[in-house]
Amino acid sequence: MFYQTHLRSIALILALGFLAIYASFGSYFAREIVVEITILAILAISLDFCAGFGGMVSLCHGAIMGIAAYVFTIMGVKLGWPSLPSATLGLLAAVLFSGMVGWVTARTSGIFFIMATLAFGQMAYTFFFKSRWLGGDDGMGGISRFDLSWLGLDLNDALVFALLGVGVLFLVYVVASILLRSGFGRVLCGIHSNENRMQAMGVNTAKHKALAMACSGFMAGMAGIIAAQHTLYISPELLIWTVSGEVLLVVILGGIGTLVGPVIGAIILIMMKHELSNYTDYWHMIVGVVLILAVLAGGRGVYGQIEVWLEAFFKPQAPKEPKEPTESKEKEQDLA
Amino acid sequence: MDASFWLLQCLNAMQYSMLLFLLSIGLTVIFGLMHFVNLAHASLYMLGAYFGISVSAMTGQFWLAFMLSPIIVTCIGAVLYFTLIDRMRGAGPMNQVLVTFGLIFVILDLVRLGWGDIALGLEAPAELSHTVSFWGISYPAYRLFIIALGLVVMISMWVVLRRTQIGAMIRASVENADMAASLGINVGRLFFLVFCFGCALAGLAGVAAAPIFSATTTMGITILIPTLIVVVIGGLGSLEGAITGSLIIGFLETFGAVLLPSLSAVLTYMLLAAVLVFRPQGLIPARG
Repeated sequence: MFYQTHLRSIALILALGFLAIYASFGSYFAREIVVEITILAILAISLDFCAGFGGMVSLCHGAIMGIAAYVFTIMGVKLGWPSLPSATLGLLAAVLFSGMVGWVTARTSGIFFIMATLAFGQMAYTFFFKSRWLGGDDGMGGISRFDLSWLGLDLNDALVFALLGVGVLFLVYVVASILLRSGFGRVLCGIHSNENRMQAMGVNTAKHKALAMACSGFMAGMAGIIAAQHTLYISPELLIWTVSGEVLLVVILGGIGTLVGPVIGAIILIMMKHELSNYTDYWHMIVGVVLILAVLAGGRGVYGQIEVWLEAFFKPQAPKEPKEPTESKEKEQDLA
Repeated sequence: MDASFWLLQCLNAMQYSMLLFLLSIGLTVIFGLMHFVNLAHASLYMLGAYFGISVSAMTGQFWLAFMLSPIIVTCIGAVLYFTLIDRMRGAGPMNQVLVTFGLIFVILDLVRLGWGDIALGLEAPAELSHTVSFWGISYPAYRLFIIALGLVVMISMWVVLRRTQIGAMIRASVENADMAASLGINVGRLFFLVFCFGCALAGLAGVAAAPIFSATTTMGITILIPTLIVVVIGGLGSLEGAITGSLIIGFLETFGAVLLPSLSAVLTYMLLAAVLVFRPQGLIPARG
């Protein structure tokens, strides 16, 4: 069950505020990092939506993101469409693909779901990798950013782009939060805890799962559009399964099923990557060790663990605690 | 496209299938028995290749490397078993996938630290470095040796699993581990033995593959996905499934690459998706 607690709101505001300040006062390089963080964070929220609340641990979110980026680029560069309609079509393609994956895999669960999503993701990856028309493994360039001059914004400015990215991240969080607090979100959480019972109550679980994947695909598609506009170049690397694995890593690192945890996980991972790559070429190993430790430590993630601690700290007056000493005293008296 | 072309491609497909079989049989039995998803299995394959190259470079003897490398990999597997795998057994598929995904990263960078980023080659042993001519084609003897090796492992696995006591114990534990334990089978020890055996086969596959494909840091990730596909298509935990799966994927990928180069890779994934949707338990599941 999802609750937008005060703690989560505060954590979100702190995280987004940190990103905005870091971009505003940092160098060009810092702004690039902020965009990278927002892309990963949006993708992680989208995965947390279906994995943390719907129990669908997908390994094809990189592919969903990549499909949106590719369709956006095909429309814009190959067919010369204006950027806004091509972005809409990119999002639509991501929604259709992930909804289709969700519908087809609705009957599978556990490791079979993971494997099935892996297969669909790799299918998309190899399709783009082999496609000569789309540049194959060289990818495609020539993308241009949105023209927002009618708003007085120039997206080619690194700061404006970074701040817009943070804004989109906020919007995606709000959308995910509203969806999870709606009746649909409650049903989704119900399916996660006990699918058979939800079926017995007359819920069409397959339909809900497919819908949840489609919603998640919409968010992942947003990340794809930003990613394409960020580097102005796309390649099949976006869709490879290790990207999805890394997103899952971010979700676990931040705290699965908390929605704000993935944002924090993305900040930690990207920062760690950039700091570590200054010192060593072998930062993957450290990321791997951190991941293993995060799972061994209980799998709550950084934010999830802090949330548990803070909630325990702010709720010490549980009715049991003052009682226990008196009981034991009574027992001592009995013994005496 | 005459008969010799088909024969050549069949041999190539067989050789690839056997390599896939050596990897997937370990993975599938570990999964069937322990319900553990070990994504790092392919990293052990990579370690097998690298250790084989090192031993062979130090001693100059291929066959010594061929024997020693699986043993070293087994020892590493045993360490992993006691530090991580055993602990993660009841933790659910997502946590297992994550931990072994982390292990892939760690092993990858350890290999880069130890051996560097450059692809390393291994010479096939002198007695197998010639080509054999038969039925109008000539084929490298070493590749024939790999086909033979796979067939030998396949048959001995079948004999062990179907005709010996330990095979019966393994089959019983795959069927129902709790019931097997209450019948007096030391299931924990059996798990450990099977895990080590799977690691040894992964190491063996690695050192056997090194003379054909040179050892690179990406070889583990590259073979992981086809191996997982074999395991899922065949049915988790079943020997017959692993045999069928590796033959299907080996032939599909080899002939697909020759006959339908643009479609071949997508074909494999489509087959996997179809199996998962219409027959999620796999073609030949371990449990009837």
